[in-house]
Amino acid sequence: MSLPGTPTTSPTPMDEDIEQTVSVNTEPKRVKVYVLENNEWKDTGTGFCIGEVDESKSAYLVVSDEDSPTETLLKSKLEGNIEYQRQEETLIVWKDLGRKDIALSFEESMGCDTLCEFIVHVQRNIESNISLVTVKSSDNGLGSVHDIITGPVTLPSNDPEQNDQTLLEALKILNENTSFDFLKNETIEFILQSNYVDTLISHFHKAEEERIPKDLFLLSNIIKTLILYNQRDILESMVEDGRIMGIVGILEYDTEYPTSKANHRKYLGSKGPNFKEVIPLENEDLKIIMKKCFRLQFLKDVVLVRFLDDHNFNLISEIVMDLETCIIDFLQVGTFLDRLIELYDTDTLPSSSPEKEKFVQKRKDGIRLLQQCVQMSINLDALDRSKFYKTLVRKGLFKVLDYAFHMETDSNVRILATDTIITIIEHDILLIHNVQNEDLFKQHHKPAPDDKCSVQGNNSRNNNSNTDSKLLSILSTILLSDKSPGLREQVVQALNTLLHPEGCLGNSEGSYDLMGRSNNESKNTSEEFPSFGYGLNSDSINLNSYQYNGDDMNNLETTGSESEFQIMEYFANFYNKIAPILFGPLIKKVTTITEMTEMNNKIKKASKDDLLLIHLVKLVSFVCTEHDRVLSRRFILENGILDSVSRLIDSNHILQLRLTAVRCVKNIMCLDDKYYHRYMISKNLYAPIFKLFQKNIDKNNLANSCIQDFFRIIITECRAHQVGDHNEGEESNGTHNNNTIKGKVNADNNRTNFTILNKYLIQTYGNILRKATYVPFIREMLEIAEESQPEHSIFENSVECENDVSVNMSSDGLTSNHLEDIDMNNVKRLHSEIEHFDNDPHYSSDQLAFKKSADQMNAST
Amino acid sequence: MMDLDKIIASLREGKHIPEETVFRLCLNSQELLMNEGNVTQVDTPVTICGDIHGQLHDLLTLFEKSGGVEKTRYIFLGDFVDRGFYSLESFLLLLCYKLRYPDRITLIRGNHETRQITKVYGFYDEVVRKYGNSNVWRYCCEVFDYLSLGAIINNTIFCVHGGLSPDMTTVDEIRTIDRKQEVPHEGAMCDLLWSDPEDVDTWSLSPRGAGFLFGKREVDQFLEKNNVELIARAHQLVMEGYKEMFDGGLVTVWSAPNYCYRCGNVAAVLKIDDELNREYTIFEAVQAQNEVGNAIIPTKKSQMDYFL
Repeated sequence: MSLPGTPTTSPTPMDEDIEQTVSVNTEPKRVKVYVLENNEWKDTGTGFCIGEVDESKSAYLVVSDEDSPTETLLKSKLEGNIEYQRQEETLIVWKDLGRKDIALSFEESMGCDTLCEFIVHVQRNIESNISLVTVKSSDNGLGSVHDIITGPVTLPSNDPEQNDQTLLEALKILNENTSFDFLKNETIEFILQSNYVDTLISHFHKAEEERIPKDLFLLSNIIKTLILYNQRDILESMVEDGRIMGIVGILEYDTEYPTSKANHRKYLGSKGPNFKEVIPLENEDLKIIMKKCFRLQFLKDVVLVRFLDDHNFNLISEIVMDLETCIIDFLQVGTFLDRLIELYDTDTLPSSSPEKEKFVQKRKDGIRLLQQCVQMSINLDALDRSKFYKTLVRKGLFKVLDYAFHMETDSNVRILATDTIITIIEHDILLIHNVQNEDLFKQHHKPAPDDKCSVQGNNSRNNNSNTDSKLLSILSTILLSDKSPGLREQVVQALNTLLHPEGCLGNSEGSYDLMGRSNNESKNTSEEFPSFGYGLNSDSINLNSYQYNGDDMNNLETTGSESEFQIMEYFANFYNKIAPILFGPLIKKVTTITEMTEMNNKIKKASKDDLLLIHLVKLVSFVCTEHDRVLSRRFILENGILDSVSRLIDSNHILQLRLTAVRCVKNIMCLDDKYYHRYMISKNLYAPIFKLFQKNIDKNNLANSCIQDFFRIIITECRAHQVGDHNEGEESNGTHNNNTIKGKVNADNNRTNFTILNKYLIQTYGNILRKATYVPFIREMLEIAEESQPEHSIFENSVECENDVSVNMSSDGLTSNHLEDIDMNNVKRLHSEIEHFDNDPHYSSDQLAFKKSADQMNAST
Repeated sequence: MMDLDKIIASLREGKHIPEETVFRLCLNSQELLMNEGNVTQVDTPVTICGDIHGQLHDLLTLFEKSGGVEKTRYIFLGDFVDRGFYSLESFLLLLCYKLRYPDRITLIRGNHETRQITKVYGFYDEVVRKYGNSNVWRYCCEVFDYLSLGAIINNTIFCVHGGLSPDMTTVDEIRTIDRKQEVPHEGAMCDLLWSDPEDVDTWSLSPRGAGFLFGKREVDQFLEKNNVELIARAHQLVMEGYKEMFDGGLVTVWSAPNYCYRCGNVAAVLKIDDELNREYTIFEAVQAQNEVGNAIIPTKKSQMDYFL
């Protein structure tokens, strides 16, 4: 069909006669009228088109000649099942009941719009069987896209009497109606406005009673098809009280499993999950929302789990989330939370024993309820979450936790309480702290000018650090005393979060000012005083800043740095008070009879608890890696914790623990910290690793791999230092002569922690290592050690200073000139090997960083 | 000592296993797995199995069609959990078999055997539904860390979940990894679990966001350098159950029929006999049954009591 052209002349002013006759109908629009004759479109003239409805309620498209307005070019009745096609923007084409093809070509698309609206109007009100479709060429230019604008919609029969015929027909219709938005929307309207779903449900009961499997499967497919309409109102209407049982009942039948039936109704009924009201809900609307929320999740997760596509899944999740937001909002108004937390007032316990038992159960359920609330809040947006958690803490969440950790003995309940805490602190580690100290803050906001803070925190902020450390202290005690392995893992997760300095920093705003300043002021002293290194920011806060005078204090408070002080105090407090208890089983005690207290007995017991020790050794790795080096190192070394860790490698403990201890040594070695390196060498802490290696030297097992990785780290670090020094030399020195001189200097600089360690290990354990030259790293370790050719043992000094190494940390006891007399040949050989390794991606220094980050991840899981 | 046969029977019926029992199973498995290398040695004849993904009933079919663990040796190439609704039972069943018949079953770590992935793809959720808390998930994740990264059959067939890594091109190098850790986001350990074979000229970025794509050249080099004939791996859905590539130098084996209960694929296992002949067994998803032979419709367990 060739498309007729549009009229090109400009429209003439409207004739008044026409205006009058169509005023109740549509405005006249300028068109060309074509009819198809002998397969060719014939132009029958140009005129004005109106849509007209006469007294007898008949509708017409009428075109009057533009030159002689009384003459009608076209009068075509809208009737029967005529399909009007709107082609592109300006054409309407149809075949009338007399089989005549007619086309109206409008001057403007607006004109075409007007007449299309008229057709829609007529379809809706007068001639329901006519239809209007649009035809547009598709985006790729090939073929065309049809869409229905209006037309008759076939809907399923809503007759109360249903049978397999009506159901099959309905299924077909419902499926077909999804193909066009118009049909789909009309169908949705029908489902929502009629009682169609109820008709289906009542037929379902009949079909089930009369055992008509065909109908049951058809019904199931019909409900699924309706779910695929992916329409919020339909889904919500399905889970209403009167329908939910019918819907899940129908969905118990599944054509994919024709011989079986699910038992969703039984589940939702008496045997299934129960809706428990620990505290009676006063708000009926809230109850309805909660039920709706649960049922939608049940549909999503159980009933329809194999059936939903991504769109359905997302829509249901979206609805659930909206409902959850609503629930959490509701909970915060009124007295619900107050009444819940009142349960944990210590003086409310009833006296009679059955009552008491009931009450204790109620308290358990209350903790479960709280955990579910907090769990539900995870999907909310961050602000809503903060608001909710603050409300909880303000209303006395700590009272509940106190109860859970001190009175309650059921590990399962404690687990839920810990889970609640973890969720809150992982969202915002300072939230509990901030809310708890809101009042204290107000009281102590302006300290007296002479009120200087000290590391011990004997000042106005003492209360704050007490509330902070309370949680740490509770968790530490649980870790040491509770035997439930699951609870322990959770507690460790909570400790990791609470003790992560970046977590603390990330949420404290306005603190950068202070950090920058104190960083500048303390640069040169940062090794002498405990300071807090915040990793990525390369900022550190010196505890010196506690010595600010009153003016400075006021200054700091106005810039909102109060929380900075609290973080510092918090960690100082951790090492002073919590860490000695937490790491008790790893601290070497000088035991006297008077010290054989109950606590010591506990510690003694704990030191035989391998699973606990695994957690503690991992925590040692964590604090050494993540915390301020000076602060953590002092604690670790002064308490001989690494000695204990090393002893665990060589022991009768389970291998999991022994290897965890090896990893801890590896992590600390990776810190490339000369004090640790010196300590571990002088105390011979590597010895158990070699003993373990000797036992596994020919075995293909985890212990062997774990120790091979130890060698890999050493060799990678040694090579990295050599490569780094080498490049430096190359860049700054052009001539060969200078190069070799520089080479010698660099060789001196090679006395890094790792080359020293390598040398020490070869000297001390060479006999073991030489048996394992199948390990490429060991071959390299031997090569490197040979390259530097020591004349005498470098470790004479270190052995001598073994006893005072922890005291003498700031003096550099290991800088003997053992590498001074390297000969030129060795330096050259070094260079040629360096080039080789430079090209080998395996030896990139990234490896170490990536190992560290992986270990971090392991520590925090 | 636990009555493993009893636990196995319960697991096969999909019954609830007490948390305490799971804990002991996991702890005992750790001890066993620690004795294995990163690349563990396996002898022929052996049946190689691909992804399982929590499809317990299909796993039972797998054993049934391929001889059963009482008679046959098996290597499972990882991805025991996630997607399906019986991740826990599937994984525990394999662990029990491992404890009961240590020499007949080798378990290799897949990219789904990690804390991060299982939190997203179903296993974590499944455990919380079944136990009301995540403890059992934590115990299982700890076992994941001890799983081998690969296996080598008669020094001739290299088995791994995903594929090769540009960082470590020999089996000996893989032995130097301290594998007891969460799978990192990059590096050799990550690549072994995440990489895919593809028609590429050299190592290429993987659309998965982890691991690499590798081609015939990398496979040929690996085979020659390590003096092996075949790389057997899983990790990718194959509608026909298995797919050989690169002139038979690599094969993908997939053992989860009708994956996610909707993909319509068949599954396969690969049996290697003493002459290193390859024999594939194809099997389809069948209707699951309970202990008395009644059909079961696979589904998730609903949450327990609710307060909100």
